[in-house]
Amino acid sequence: MNVRIIPRLDIKGPNLVKGIHLEGLRVLGKPEVYARHYYEHGADELVYMDVVASLYGRNSLLDIIERTSKEIFIPLTVGGGLRSLDDIRTALRAGADKVSLNTAAIADPNLVREAAKRFGSSTILVSIEAIRQPDGTYEAHTDNGRESTGLDAYEWALRAAELGAGELMVTSIDREGTGEGFDLELTRRIAQSVPIPVIACGGAGSPEHVREVVVDGRADAVSMASILHYGCLGVCDEDTFAVEGNVEYLSGRRAGFAKITPSSIEDVKRHLSENGVPCRYVPKEAAHA
Amino acid sequence: MSEKLETYCGLPEEVVFCKRCVMSNQRPSSFPEFKHTKDRKAPTLHIDEEGICDACRHAEQKELIDWEARERELVELCDRYRKTDGSYDCLVPGSGGKDSAYQAHVLKYKYGMHPLTCTWPPILYTDYGYKNFTNWIEVGGFDNISFKPNGRVQKLLTRLSIQNLLHPFQTFILGQKNLGPKIAAKWGIELIFYGENEAEYGNPLADNTSSLRDKSYYTMEHLDEMYLGGVSIEELRSKFGVDMNDLMIYLPPPVEEIERSNIEVHYLGYYLKWTPQESYYYAVEHTGFKARPFRTEGTYSKYNSIDDKIDDLHYYTTFMKFGLGRATYDSSQEVRNKHLTREEAVALVHRFDGEKPQRYIAEVMEHIGMTLEEFDELCDKARSPHLWVRDGGEWKLRHRVENL
Amino acid sequence: MPERGAKVAIVDYGMGNLFSVKHACSHVGLDAEITADRDAVLAADAVILPGVGAFGDAMVTLRDLGMDTALREVAQRGTPLFGICLGLQLLMEVSHEFGEHEGLGLVPGEVVHLGAPRDGDRVLKVPQVGWNALMREPRADGSDAWAGTWFEGLADGTAMYFVHSFVVSPAGAADVLARTRYGDVTFCSALRYRNVFACQCHPERSGPDGLRVYSDFAAALAPRESL
Repeated sequence: MNVRIIPRLDIKGPNLVKGIHLEGLRVLGKPEVYARHYYEHGADELVYMDVVASLYGRNSLLDIIERTSKEIFIPLTVGGGLRSLDDIRTALRAGADKVSLNTAAIADPNLVREAAKRFGSSTILVSIEAIRQPDGTYEAHTDNGRESTGLDAYEWALRAAELGAGELMVTSIDREGTGEGFDLELTRRIAQSVPIPVIACGGAGSPEHVREVVVDGRADAVSMASILHYGCLGVCDEDTFAVEGNVEYLSGRRAGFAKITPSSIEDVKRHLSENGVPCRYVPKEAAHA
Repeated sequence: MSEKLETYCGLPEEVVFCKRCVMSNQRPSSFPEFKHTKDRKAPTLHIDEEGICDACRHAEQKELIDWEARERELVELCDRYRKTDGSYDCLVPGSGGKDSAYQAHVLKYKYGMHPLTCTWPPILYTDYGYKNFTNWIEVGGFDNISFKPNGRVQKLLTRLSIQNLLHPFQTFILGQKNLGPKIAAKWGIELIFYGENEAEYGNPLADNTSSLRDKSYYTMEHLDEMYLGGVSIEELRSKFGVDMNDLMIYLPPPVEEIERSNIEVHYLGYYLKWTPQESYYYAVEHTGFKARPFRTEGTYSKYNSIDDKIDDLHYYTTFMKFGLGRATYDSSQEVRNKHLTREEAVALVHRFDGEKPQRYIAEVMEHIGMTLEEFDELCDKARSPHLWVRDGGEWKLRHRVENL
Repeated sequence: MPERGAKVAIVDYGMGNLFSVKHACSHVGLDAEITADRDAVLAADAVILPGVGAFGDAMVTLRDLGMDTALREVAQRGTPLFGICLGLQLLMEVSHEFGEHEGLGLVPGEVVHLGAPRDGDRVLKVPQVGWNALMREPRADGSDAWAGTWFEGLADGTAMYFVHSFVVSPAGAADVLARTRYGDVTFCSALRYRNVFACQCHPERSGPDGLRVYSDFAAALAPRESL
């Protein structure tokens, strides 16, 4: 079974942003530029998350979805602020292959069932963003990590699968952006209990972390952001700065983030292949003309 | 209809919102707390003829500054004060929040200074606040002096400041502001670094062209001019039986002492371009800082000022007194730093501003010996008629910030 | 007389990401139209039947639109018909997905569940979601099964993107163009039957290799004019 490597792009307005613990709006450049770079360098799928849509009701991804789907021919999953069947339809019509639901799904789990029926299970992902509690359980959160729900992440995962979700994306908010590795316990517990694919997200700091979450965390696919974005900063950031967004980090040309080994998709896939984890990997030397 | 509405605290009658951020002219400027009485008329945020507030103008100016030159000035300053005999050469007052984490770390590990950090602790530590504080010291790596004031007196003063001024944070503000110079004087440290200059938030622009903090903020000339919790020093002693000794920690050091000891106070924000959000990243990376896993009540933020349980109350009272809640403060700053657009800020203010704090309020009330009812009454009394109106059994703001 | 480019009809029966199919067509210079109109389908030079979702629902909609008869006629005439994912499955005679459903009957064979694939001790998830290799089906006479098909430009073992819980089981072994292995289950991932070419994977979501399939499709449709 080939593990999928899925770059995750957090988008605010026209910018690619990257936070820590889903917090912070550091601008790293233009999402289209990064998306194209990842497509050309072996990404299996892409995820676009509108990180502030549920916070202040702004849905700004449609443009970029349209543009992406015309030029980038790998599956695109879109999430952030999708609240209704109409929102989902609009995103799919713009060119998304799959949609990710979190806040709206927890508010009304029936939405998952309806959406799965209407658009097909495989089109509907449920995204679970969890924070570890002092007693070792994990609580699901909404609104980009801001609101607690009282829902046990594991229970919610089982329920989402029952309601017809095609895949689950499980993010550890504690690990997200820190480069400290995935939360293996969170991932494994869910991955081993649901019959649908589970995409692990949050915490990759090195290719070894990715291997770990597949082998020990039992993830079927792995999504990552910081490790890849900081890995192609030199290539993907542009000189034309956005009208909106704070670009201090970019203009300061800082080295990166201490705990993260900036990596390419190639680095990650090579490490997986060399360590017995199958993935769609064509080593550069052996690539066909 | 030109009904003349009463204004409390000498606030401007007309409510004007900045056209760039979402702050209004009702925001009081920073001013010496020990002169704070019920009838004081505090200067408030100035909004110019184009509708832009001073804080936004300051942000504009920030873009024009030659930061490389400023950094050179910092390096020069550090070179002048740096000690190589093992003693402390500067003092960084702070709490281990993202800002002081950044300040202390960058001064020590980038500019080669030997800071002593000093902390005036929160009135009531939150778990995350305390963890961030210990990480600051243990992961960041700094010597620290924390001063814990007499608990009974602090409770009394906190209660009085709420009762008289609806200002829960006064003891903290006073303690924190005044601790630095005293510790510096006692330890023979001649350089104190604070973080951002007050003008970042709209205090008079004139203050900001030099880096040295206005000495009147932290010096005391005549005891008779002093008020704590809205009560004169004299009354605190005669009516509340508080000893002068218990109050000294809240009062600034005498002018002569400061002048004698040659202490200089500088803002790091003068020398290094201040982006609070980047301080967050820096603090996570270097001092083990962690945002809270839940949104702070009254705003959308998870990492701004999260170490004191009384914080939430503080912003609730600003909402009562000035119609400005925490979301307004947080989002205005982020608009100025271009993280948010004004429309986004407006949406955030509408969604979160003035949210009544629930998480810690019972504990805070118990700590200071007040009932919730009393607190609610005080809040209602503080609502200035020119800002609030009673509509259908509910309090409503007369003016809310809207999209342009 | 002005040369007319080939017109492709993409059948819209309300299921699946039709836009990605259309974008792939545009990208390779094919004039493609998404349509739910059976006349447009009948008039087209080639037809693409895409789709994602449940077999039973799809057949109901196709019947309601009159598409089922249109597609049978298209196949009868010899017009190239390209089935993708659910589109492949619909071509078969019967499906066992949630009961028994009659398909279009254009290709002999049936649709069955992927099963319970395992990879060592690990139970694999169903649906299969992800990239997997198309293995060229060996021919008894040693000939290249992909020659003259829209897979001609691909290397044996090229990976494409799959998302499915059911697979086709064609009656004629000669019809199988490619197989794919998922854990310990091997299934038919592409077939050709007369003028019908179909694959379980999504070439329009399979990067440059997938686009190659579309361009070979386009090349096969191009009028044979001297340049």
